[in-house]
Amino acid sequence: MSPLGPLLLATLLFCVGVYGIIARRNAVLVLMSVELMLNAVNINLVAFQNLVWVGEEAVSGQMFALFIIAVAAAEVGVGLAIIFNMFRNRASVNVDDVDLMRW
Amino acid sequence: MEALLDYAWLVVMLPLAAAVLTAAFGRLMPLRGSEFGIALVGVAWILSALIAWQTFTSGTIDPVEHSLAWSPLGGGFVLEIGMLVDGLTSMMFLLVTTVSLLVHIYSREYMAHEPRFTYFFAMLGLFTFSMLVLVIANNTLQALIGWELVGLCSFLLIGFYWEEKSNQDAANKAFLVTKFGDVGLIVGVIVLSIPMFSIVEDGRAFNILALNEAAAAGEIANSSIVLGMLLIFLACVSKSGQMPLHVWLPDAMAGPTPVSALIHAATMVTAGVFLLARLYPVMAQSATVMMVIAVVGVITLFFGGLVALVQDDIKKVLAYSTVSQLGYMVAALGVGGYTAGIFHLFTHGFFKALLFLGSGSLIHAVHSNNMSDMGGMRKYMPHTFWTFIVGSLALAGFPMTAGFFSKDEILVSGQIWASNGFVTGDLVFWVGLAAAFVTTFYMARACFLIFAGEYRGGHDTHGDPDVKHQAAQAAGVDPEVVGHGEAEELAAVSAVGHDDHGHDDAHGHGGHHEPHESGPQMVVPLVILAVLSLLVGYIGSPVWTAENSFETWTATPILEEATYPFLDDGGDHGGDGEQALQGGGLLAAGPVLAAAEGELHPEVLHGPPSWHFDVLGLAMAAFLAALALAYLFYGRGRRDEDPTMQMGPFTRVLVAKYGLDTLGYKAIVVPVRDKLSGWATYTSNEVIDKTVAGTGLAVMRAATTTYHVVDQRVIDGGVNGAAFSAAWWSDRLKRLQSGDVQRYAGAIVAGTIVLVLAFAAAR
Repeated sequence: MSPLGPLLLATLLFCVGVYGIIARRNAVLVLMSVELMLNAVNINLVAFQNLVWVGEEAVSGQMFALFIIAVAAAEVGVGLAIIFNMFRNRASVNVDDVDLMRW
Repeated sequence: MEALLDYAWLVVMLPLAAAVLTAAFGRLMPLRGSEFGIALVGVAWILSALIAWQTFTSGTIDPVEHSLAWSPLGGGFVLEIGMLVDGLTSMMFLLVTTVSLLVHIYSREYMAHEPRFTYFFAMLGLFTFSMLVLVIANNTLQALIGWELVGLCSFLLIGFYWEEKSNQDAANKAFLVTKFGDVGLIVGVIVLSIPMFSIVEDGRAFNILALNEAAAAGEIANSSIVLGMLLIFLACVSKSGQMPLHVWLPDAMAGPTPVSALIHAATMVTAGVFLLARLYPVMAQSATVMMVIAVVGVITLFFGGLVALVQDDIKKVLAYSTVSQLGYMVAALGVGGYTAGIFHLFTHGFFKALLFLGSGSLIHAVHSNNMSDMGGMRKYMPHTFWTFIVGSLALAGFPMTAGFFSKDEILVSGQIWASNGFVTGDLVFWVGLAAAFVTTFYMARACFLIFAGEYRGGHDTHGDPDVKHQAAQAAGVDPEVVGHGEAEELAAVSAVGHDDHGHDDAHGHGGHHEPHESGPQMVVPLVILAVLSLLVGYIGSPVWTAENSFETWTATPILEEATYPFLDDGGDHGGDGEQALQGGGLLAAGPVLAAAEGELHPEVLHGPPSWHFDVLGLAMAAFLAALALAYLFYGRGRRDEDPTMQMGPFTRVLVAKYGLDTLGYKAIVVPVRDKLSGWATYTSNEVIDKTVAGTGLAVMRAATTTYHVVDQRVIDGGVNGAAFSAAWWSDRLKRLQSGDVQRYAGAIVAGTIVLVLAFAAAR
């Protein structure tokens, strides 16, 4: 089976994620875009598994994908906690409002 | 006993220790420092006496030499400091330490009222050390060091009463005149060392023994010897008071009388004679050198003695007598009388020290240097009287005194040299005889004026206008016309003795009192020296028949072998002297006049002395004639019509001291003072000062320019510019840090894309 379809899908998802990170002002949506990018990577891993590895170790791509899902979950936990505190302090989740780390 | 000679350096170092201790602790001591000098010089004297005994009894010994070598520059150039002990050294040791010790003792009383008593003793110790450094030197450079040191001590002690300008002038004159000769010594030493560098293998080019050996072996070119020895002789001329550079010696009498006895009669002024004797094998290589030395000596011994005839200052009489006797020594060396010359040095050291100390005793009692203030002193000072008479007899060469043997030996040396075909030998003999007449006359004059008649002192003669005027008239100069210094000079000749007045006045005695005999500390040295003046001559006389005499004592192995290369070498003349002596035929108070007329005497040593009745007869005739003449003139002790002052132009010449002082004053002092000092001032103020100032100004300007251009603009500008540019750039670059996370993310994406494209393009 050709990996072209999954790879195109992954590229599309990644580009949507990049756009989301750069363009959205809502912090929650930015976080969601990060998840989109991670999942684009997951698709890549799974798609390349069949192409690159054969035989006994053929599951390692899927294993990486599972790890990334776990890492992504943890990351979302941390990210949402930051956003939650941000909202409590400022009553806003707009990333443009958070620019204290500047010159 | 042999090992004793290895410790001869102790003799040198002890007086130095005395000088240092006196200078450091003298003021704290009960005897104000004199105990150091007397004790340590006393020990040095004992050592010297033992060394002298050792060298005397063992005949002509091989020199004992020890030295430390130092090669600061490498390349075979070796400097040494060391000791060379032989008979000549130990003879000088004995003379220097004996006179020095006696002068130390004498000065305790003579200088008792001096505020600078301790300083005086420290200087005496330093001088003794310096003289011994010169004597013990095993190389010419060390001798030069000692030579300069004695010159320095002499300068300091002549100027001891520096409160008076005339004494400062005398010290300066002595220093500058001798310094003129010292230049000759330095150059001469270097000239002689140049051929030695290629002869010696260990680089010790200044070693005296090596130099003597090489010269005696004929390894040194004649031109080097003539040039080097004449230059060294120039140093002797200035230091040993030979004409015409003797002018400083009479002026040096400005110092305290014990200093005159020690330095300007017995030891320092004989340094030149000693150096010639030390380098005798070198000097003996050249007939030219010996002729020059003999001629200068003859001129000095005669004309120096003549000036003593017209002196009134007793110390000046003795000073000119010293000049004359030094002339005898130098003349003796110039006519092959090696032994005779240094024998006279030895005996003269004792009897001239005696005469000076005796005159010091008189001056101490009378508070004047002038014989015109004395008279009849025999009554008041009996001990001083007979010791002074003994010294005078020795100086005049009365038979069986020390001066008799040594002076006659010089005359006989002249005869022997004449038989070698040199006219200088005849000159020394006849002029020496004539000068012996003069010597006897001026000493008899001095003795009669001082001791006979009635006491004329007791009145203040300071600034006596008659005497000054008389002196100026006698010199044929109008006192108003001549410069100040000149008038002073002339006045000092026959009028006031400035020299010892200043300190004697401090005694607090008034002018009117009867003179009295000096105390035991002054009389005992006089008696000792008088006994020595009678006895020391015997070891070099025909009376002394022992195997070891003065000649074997002071000869060296080199001299025993040495002959005069410019004489035809007869080859087997060596035995003549002994044969003649064994034959017992010829008698002379001098060396044996051995063989037939016209036979040459190429040996340096003349063999044991024997009687010479022809010489003795002539010398006695001269002595008696002079004595009779002096008695005729001065027998009743009168002076108001002094015949030596009434000889017309002759007196004028003598009082003016042959015009040498005037010549020196007009030809050297005045031009230096008026012209040279002007040029020097001009050079200093206009050339040197302006060069210095200009250099300073230029440096200052360069520094200012550097400051403004380099420091302010380049360095400060660079530093400030760096800071300003950093601020300027950071002000602009800081805006990248906007705090907008999405902008950062966009930058990362853009950067990633750029990188990917770049890699793709690079493929």
